[in-house]
Amino acid sequence: MKQTLSDRLFSIFAYVVLILFTLFCILPFLLMVIGSFTEESELIVNGYTLFPKAFSIAAYKALLHSDALYNGYGITLIITVVGTVAALCISAMLAYSLANKRNVLQTPFLLFCYLPMLFSGGIIPFYIVVSQWLHLQNTIWALILPLLCQPFLVFLLVSFFRTVPEELEEAARIDGANEMRVFFQIILPISKPILASVGLFYALNYWNDWYMGLMFIDNEKLFPLQLILRRMVSNMEAAKNLIPASAAISTVAPTYGVRMATTVLTIGPIILLYPMLQKYFVKGLTVGAVKG
Amino acid sequence: MPNVRKRGAGYKLQQIARNPFLYGMAVPGLLFFLIFSYFPIYGILIAFKNYDFSKGITGSDWVGFRNFNYFFTSDDFWTILRNTLLLNVLFIVFTTLAAVLIALMFNEIRNKYFKRISQSLIFLPYFMSWIVIGMLVQSFLGGESPPVNAWIQHLGFAPVNWMFESALWPWILTIIRVWQGAGYLSIIFLAAITGISEDLYEAARIDGASKLQIMLRITLPLLVPTISIMTLLSVGRIFNGDFAMIYAIIGDNSLLYPATDVIDTFVFRSMRQLHDFGMSSAVGLFQSVMGLIFVIIANAVTRKMSKESALF
Repeated sequence: MKQTLSDRLFSIFAYVVLILFTLFCILPFLLMVIGSFTEESELIVNGYTLFPKAFSIAAYKALLHSDALYNGYGITLIITVVGTVAALCISAMLAYSLANKRNVLQTPFLLFCYLPMLFSGGIIPFYIVVSQWLHLQNTIWALILPLLCQPFLVFLLVSFFRTVPEELEEAARIDGANEMRVFFQIILPISKPILASVGLFYALNYWNDWYMGLMFIDNEKLFPLQLILRRMVSNMEAAKNLIPASAAISTVAPTYGVRMATTVLTIGPIILLYPMLQKYFVKGLTVGAVKG
Repeated sequence: MPNVRKRGAGYKLQQIARNPFLYGMAVPGLLFFLIFSYFPIYGILIAFKNYDFSKGITGSDWVGFRNFNYFFTSDDFWTILRNTLLLNVLFIVFTTLAAVLIALMFNEIRNKYFKRISQSLIFLPYFMSWIVIGMLVQSFLGGESPPVNAWIQHLGFAPVNWMFESALWPWILTIIRVWQGAGYLSIIFLAAITGISEDLYEAARIDGASKLQIMLRITLPLLVPTISIMTLLSVGRIFNGDFAMIYAIIGDNSLLYPATDVIDTFVFRSMRQLHDFGMSSAVGLFQSVMGLIFVIIANAVTRKMSKESALF
């Protein structure tokens, strides 16, 4: 179809808006990555530039010697893997039970899981339950258990399971499969896409969490990555402390650079996996938005 | 299935006994909600007590509404209430506007590769933790000579001491919020636009409508229900949910509290620093109740507009 001048101008306008917004979204990341590879002295004098004159990997070299960072990575990996697997199992089982028409307790069960989305006790009672009743403070469980079940993600699974045709289950049951076999051999295999997106959300939750750590962890050996990073935000000195004195490489301690480099290492796995995972995230988000 | 009588406790018990696995599957999840959501609701009692660690929740002495009185009569009350509402309104308005604009513009673009790459990139900030974002903010606006000031001075303006100017922070936080959330919201709007019937566009094109007219007369009006629902959902959450963002960015910088302190950060601080559990949980309860009221109102309005989209 022939385009008029005004249509063409309008298309150009659309491109300009999107290019500007895209730049706005990624420039901070670019500057941070480049900053992490810039010589400390130049960072202090010129601030961030897209094209630094003095390239340096001192910050990363310094971080190689940091036990705290290795430790943080270890803790974060453990809670992400253990937490995601456990959360996915618990949520999928709960959602299957909630979605099943034969469940005579369906309504009370659903209400039970719905209410916490609407009303909560607030953080003080939550804090007391986790620390005084369950005695989880300064254990890795404080980082895993409180995030095991997200009502929103459970309902994402429920709405998926509801779309599974009943005939499928019935046929299996007539063939003599019990409930357990139906769930593991029929339901789970066809739910892979939704399990993938819900799993990714859980994984991201665990990877990015620092709130549980902030409330319940004082022992530095149990600090997840995000908490190590948080310390650096609130306290410049923390960046220096991350590097053992014996590893001093240059005369200028790369404090800015270390902060940038730690951030890059913290978000690295997300950014690297992102292109592959993005379609699952988008799927999960749009499904969730249609029926929150 | 024969149509048997489906009522009565006896029938239910029989059903449960017949399918132990079906009900057993729900147990871990239900236990989770019981422990981490329902036990804390019981803990609300603390708001009416002079909480003493050694005596526990049941053992502590009742003080009636004293904890609430402290809070409602303090100057902090109006400040944090105003901040909570004002910041949320700014966030909702600007994120929605930006997201609608972006979604409409994406709809005009035919280049698949540009579309895909641009979408991936604007979506990225949504996956960063607030700590990482706090770090970014700190590295642009913090320190002795914030890097942003270097740029500002290049443009011929006077440098700004960002960490002292509380009046600027509602806007800074809004910009950060748009940066983080508009891309994600635009994807949802774009999904709604994709659902608009192709016939309408064709009819408009045959009638000779320009792209701009199509956008203003067809796409935008048909997007309005989705926009309203997403907005109502955020209005329902207006009383909570910003702790992670604001605490990660502002932290303990008390110079900025006048404009940035919200209910969540106030509660957290009075718990961690003042150890005033009674008042903190009174504030928390106030927040939960107000939140519940807002959710119910928002839901009722949503229900009026579109039954499908209501939460309950």
